[in-house]
Amino acid sequence: MELPIKNYKLLLVIPIALMVVSAGILITHYMRTGEWFNRSFELTGGTLVTIETKQATDIGAVESALSQFKVSVRSLTGFGGSKLLIQAGSDADSKAIIAALGSIGIDTSVSSVQTIGPALSESFWVQAQLALAAAFVFMGIVVFVLFRDPVPSGYVMLCAFSDIVVAMALMQVFGIELSLASLGGLIMLLDYSVDTDILLTTRCLRGTGTFGERWKSSVKTGFTMFGTAFGALVALYISGLSPVISEIAAVLILGLCADVILTWIQNSVLLKVHMERKGLL
Amino acid sequence: MSFMKHWHIWMLLVFVVASLLAIGLRDYPYGRDGVKIAYVARDSPAYGVFKQGMIITSLNGATVADASAWQTLSSATGPVKLTVDGRVYEFAVNKTLGIDAVDMERTNIELGLDLQGGTRIVLKPKTNATPETIQQIISILQTRANLYGLKEINFYPVSGIGESFVQIEAAGVGSDVVDDLLSRQGTFYALINKTAPVKEGEASLRIGDSYYNMTLLDNGTISVGGNAVQPGGKFTLQDVEFLYVGRTNRTAEFLAKVFDNDDIELVYTDPQKSGIQPQGKVFFFHFAVLVSKQGAERFAALTKGMGSYLDMASGEEYLDGKLFLYLDDEQISDLNIGAGLRGQVINTPSIQGSRETRDAAMKEMLSMQTVLRSGALPVSLETVSVDVISPRLGSSFFESTAYAALLAAAIVVALIVIRYRSLNVAIPMIFISFSEVLIIMGVAAGNDSRIWMSALAVNALIVGLAYWKKEVVDMSGVMGALLVPLVGLISWTIDLAAIAGVVAIIGTGVNHQIIIADETMMRTDEEKKKKTYFFRDHIKRAFFIIFGAAATTVAAMTPLIILGIGMIRGFAITALVGTLIGVLVTRPAYAGIIERVMSKKERL
Repeated sequence: MELPIKNYKLLLVIPIALMVVSAGILITHYMRTGEWFNRSFELTGGTLVTIETKQATDIGAVESALSQFKVSVRSLTGFGGSKLLIQAGSDADSKAIIAALGSIGIDTSVSSVQTIGPALSESFWVQAQLALAAAFVFMGIVVFVLFRDPVPSGYVMLCAFSDIVVAMALMQVFGIELSLASLGGLIMLLDYSVDTDILLTTRCLRGTGTFGERWKSSVKTGFTMFGTAFGALVALYISGLSPVISEIAAVLILGLCADVILTWIQNSVLLKVHMERKGLL
Repeated sequence: MSFMKHWHIWMLLVFVVASLLAIGLRDYPYGRDGVKIAYVARDSPAYGVFKQGMIITSLNGATVADASAWQTLSSATGPVKLTVDGRVYEFAVNKTLGIDAVDMERTNIELGLDLQGGTRIVLKPKTNATPETIQQIISILQTRANLYGLKEINFYPVSGIGESFVQIEAAGVGSDVVDDLLSRQGTFYALINKTAPVKEGEASLRIGDSYYNMTLLDNGTISVGGNAVQPGGKFTLQDVEFLYVGRTNRTAEFLAKVFDNDDIELVYTDPQKSGIQPQGKVFFFHFAVLVSKQGAERFAALTKGMGSYLDMASGEEYLDGKLFLYLDDEQISDLNIGAGLRGQVINTPSIQGSRETRDAAMKEMLSMQTVLRSGALPVSLETVSVDVISPRLGSSFFESTAYAALLAAAIVVALIVIRYRSLNVAIPMIFISFSEVLIIMGVAAGNDSRIWMSALAVNALIVGLAYWKKEVVDMSGVMGALLVPLVGLISWTIDLAAIAGVVAIIGTGVNHQIIIADETMMRTDEEKKKKTYFFRDHIKRAFFIIFGAAATTVAAMTPLIILGIGMIRGFAITALVGTLIGVLVTRPAYAGIIERVMSKKERL
């Protein structure tokens, strides 16, 4: 059995288009704001007031009650009730914000206030960038040691890199900011992406049967992995346990979808081309 | 089939039992019912008798089962009989017992601030600080916390890239305490204003019995010992630092530093030399400090020959110069100096201030006394982050987590059953995932060295037996038996980030188990032809993928542990330990279970 289409190289159009669109989204954002993506208050400095409520609150009412402050309001609803998240600058008066919420009848007894000043957030930001870069480089070294062949190893890392780019673009589309939580999500995505690519590469390089058979067997495993991971993450996301968990789940859900195209199409086609050239098929 | 064939599974079971014990095994010297004292208020009759951390088991004969029972019971007044740490105490309560108590810990797992509530503050030195300076800062802050009576508060040095921070975690400290007590540098000084009369183009400044003549230059500048000093400029005469304020045609004004931190030898807190009085609508507080001999002599020299005036309101005679006290460049008191003190060696000046309520005055006095007693910090600090999390925020979290985990498990089981049409693959998968969570938590728990050392011994025995029975003993299994109990000795805080790490481990764990299941169920052409099945070959390839994937996880997480501060670090440690447990213990055990399932199915 062969890949589903005869002229399989044409399939590369899909991941290339995905990358072009994603890069376009990031570049447009860069041109507009001077930043590649929106950073959350943890990475720019700011205040986050979280109020836990039994019922979901009317965001419009909250926004109008807080109109004198420069805030953005979100809410998160799940099994454990509802959470109201109010984000403001790091010099915001959190007590006044909570008092204003109390004045429109919201029970503010269960609350948390997190303030991060510009000095610490700047330090976090530097660390976040270093962490992502270091994770990528170290993973690359391990993958290379694993396959001892620069071409398939390079494809694995190309796929991981594309995953991160597409996930970041999707985060922008869905309004998820880069925070310490979503950074954690991106690192998990990197890990997941490399896992599926190691699976594909191992099965294709070391398996038996035609390339199509090897590919099909790894797709079967890969889709089972995708399905369980996706299902579990959706469960986590709708549970609304905490903004941290929801954000990680959201990033991974988006990234997993990107990985389906990037691993099972992009990397598969590239691997087949490589193996044909080397006379391995 | 040999009993030891599936030694990986036995090893896993030993670790599961060890983890359950590590998490749940606790001593309750005073029984399981009781509450832990979190705070004893100053106006409590038990103040000074009970320490934070003591266990209250009964009140007036009624058992105190938990914190909510304490809430209702502790409102008792009149004679109150308490059993604390096994001993009986009796108090007469007028207004309130004033003891805050929390539930006793039921597990050995330390929960993070974001799950159990509390305050976390990060302070950053305004100038670059060496690790030694940070240690010095922490010891001063600890002194302040002790003097102030803050008990459940911890200070940690935290380093970022080229930067150092001090992290403070406390069960319940408001940001006001941080601003008034902890982040204050505590630089203290006292200034006296001095006036020098101008005659014939020269100002004459008297210190003790000496007179210093200063020539007046243009633009308000004066010449001190040949150096031009502009208004706002500083100079030193007789070891006293002077600030030149400015001049008119008749006088030149100066501020002389009479005392600073080094001069403070003692801060008085006894009622004779400190106190609070209501005066009109405000409350005045005052306390005396003992200053050094040099400071007292400086005061004498600076006030010698100073003019005085009669204050009509009080009928008292005061010196022309006033004493201004500053803490961190902010004026805290300005004091009139009685004319009788002129030229005297005064060594116990009084620090005064006022606040609108008695409580606020009390607090301010206490924090000033504390700051002065502990001394100044080597560098000034700024607050860079404050997290105040209400204790109840986390309470519903575990319940919701259980629901979320059930929902996720149900989805995974459904998908696995659909895919393999067999519960034999899905049920062990859930068991393995659950045991991974359990072992991670067991490793994270504290005070568990005996348990883990026993697990090490038992598992070494299991591996030894397997080897003796000539079973295949792989290197990774041996490492698992030895390494995981050693890792068990460390402990870390379970916070939201760590939970995210657990989620990541369960995710990769399930993925790896799918890889094991798929690899072992696949048949190569050769096997199909020969109608045989080489289990070891399949497992080998599955574990090539799994070990490769785990190695990349380790590679990604290690820099995070080294780099990360705060949240990222807990995530990385959890993920790293989880990966180790996964590849060395739980996933090999899953392979063992699948092997059993397959051999039954294929009747090999």
